[in-house]
Amino acid sequence: MFCLDTYLRESEDYEIHMTRSGFKDCARFIEKNAPEVVHVKPGEKIVGARIIGVPPVPIGINEEKGTIMLPYTKPCYGTATVEIPVPIEEREKIRAAGID
Amino acid sequence: MKKAIILLGCPESPSQTPLAIYASHKLTGMGYRVTVASTPSAKKLLDVSDPEEHYVPHKTDIESCLDGLEEGDYDFLLGFVAKDAAVSYFVTFYHILNTTSMALVFHRDQEKLDDFENSVRESTNAHIASARAYHNPTPLRVRLDRGLDKLAGSEPNIHKKDKVEGNKTPKLDEQGDS
Repeated sequence: MFCLDTYLRESEDYEIHMTRSGFKDCARFIEKNAPEVVHVKPGEKIVGARIIGVPPVPIGINEEKGTIMLPYTKPCYGTATVEIPVPIEEREKIRAAGID
Repeated sequence: MKKAIILLGCPESPSQTPLAIYASHKLTGMGYRVTVASTPSAKKLLDVSDPEEHYVPHKTDIESCLDGLEEGDYDFLLGFVAKDAAVSYFVTFYHILNTTSMALVFHRDQEKLDDFENSVRESTNAHIASARAYHNPTPLRVRLDRGLDKLAGSEPNIHKKDKVEGNKTPKLDEQGDS
């Protein structure tokens, strides 16, 4: 099973678009830059991690690149926007969890 | 026994640790089994402040707690909200637990305080106790007392043991805290 925390620790194949930001700024960035946006409830498990944020939480999907873009919050460091490659089944799970 | 969880974020504000110990004491007096979920650094401050775990006997890591959290795990959520990330954590815990909740919102800067308060208000139905606070915990303690008294009054299942001990609502500090 894909695990976001483990992936970010062990891989270098990800992109950080924003860091130490506010959640709202990261959400706006995803809404503006992702080709497809799915909104989920806070607390939803996405790629093995609880999504932390203020509802509705946007998750960007780029089918062409095979990536997702999501807000990633840590208590002392604020919210980052990270883009990671995920298998197609994880992208389908995100679409299924959407509340749009 | 009813269960309460207190969320502690980044312990940047000096008010957080004493208020967390105070809130745990209050909620225990109201009949709750209290668990404090915090970052490792906030936990270390609690460990040193309460070495015999008299006030905070149950502590857990905020991230592992969130990972396994399910609706029904706790009957009351109290969140310390002094940073943007703390808003996100509180709102997330709120939506998973779906239970009676209170956000204790504080910051030294009025604009940030308003922003955090609005974000919590727009995305939850939680009770909000807020005050400008940094070094001085008193304004926030007063609002916490009022908020818990209000909740205890509106919920028959919250006991008011503290009242028996003559708990008085202290006056607000005249001095501004920043």
